[in-house]
Amino acid sequence: MYLFALLGNELTKLLHLPISGSIVGLFLVLALLHLKILKLSYVELGASFLMSEMLLFFIPSAVAIIQYKDEILQHGSQFLIVILLSTITVMIVTGLVAQYSIRRLANKKGEIER
Amino acid sequence: MIAFICILLTVLVYYLSKMLYKKVQRAFLSPLLVAPCILSLMLVGFHIDYSDYDSGGRWLSNLLQPAVVGFAIPLYKYHQVMKKYAKIIAISMTAGVTIALISSGIFSHVVHLENNYLLSLLPRSITTPIAMAVSVDIGGMPTMTAIFVIVTGISGLILGPMVIRYLHIKEKLARGLLLGMGAHGAGTSKALEFGSEEGAAASLAMVLAAIFTLIFAPILTPLILM
Repeated sequence: MYLFALLGNELTKLLHLPISGSIVGLFLVLALLHLKILKLSYVELGASFLMSEMLLFFIPSAVAIIQYKDEILQHGSQFLIVILLSTITVMIVTGLVAQYSIRRLANKKGEIER
Repeated sequence: MIAFICILLTVLVYYLSKMLYKKVQRAFLSPLLVAPCILSLMLVGFHIDYSDYDSGGRWLSNLLQPAVVGFAIPLYKYHQVMKKYAKIIAISMTAGVTIALISSGIFSHVVHLENNYLLSLLPRSITTPIAMAVSVDIGGMPTMTAIFVIVTGISGLILGPMVIRYLHIKEKLARGLLLGMGAHGAGTSKALEFGSEEGAAASLAMVLAAIFTLIFAPILTPLILM
């Protein structure tokens, strides 16, 4: 996985792509899996370990918050309000849109079968 | 040397806070909230500079990239399901990304935040490396964005299950999409706690949210600033 992330990083640099290397790497692995060049069993264990411990990798950037003490003290509550309200709005909209479209699709299928 | 100690310390604190979380099962005691608090206190207490800490911390942050690559596996496993629901996924994600950008903008205006903070807040609902890239792109402050991304992740861990419960979201696909869209990697890890299908949907949502935001953010930013 690490190799593919590196590969993805190099590829983006090489091609001056506007997206991050890890997304390129992701599609690379996906393509290789579909082409049966890469076997699922080779990468599955490593990947699932990395994914389940993913929160660990966020922690150092979260500690970076102490660098911005002044900004946080001054605007912290504003930031928090924006983030909380916006996150909940996004989740509600995404969830309801998805749920509504899934049910509509299910209803349509039901009508055809009848 | 200090780098090595910092890695060790971070991993140790992480596992301890994870054990605590497993025992008490309270969302606000997520390792993502508890561990950074403990570590920050330690840095302040022992007078360690953040830059010294990050010489080790960076190694852990870098592992985020291969972890994102790892999400290829659930995507591959469930590609049949994904294909079947391609339209639904596309509609939900477009709605999610647009709302994420616009609502961040509107709420920032409401609380009277200056534009440089507003711009750093816009890309907060996607995975860190890409959020930082978008932030640079639209004129925000990438490090601030990284912090907002984390706070979004923590908020999502707490709010996501509440939204699912109160709105009675029963479809696994919808649950996964809202978690991955709303709270990127953190939401995806929460979705994996619900089940592997939710996890796959969330990882897809995370990836698509990143790509969509990369495209939509530069277009919508001038409108939001008006």
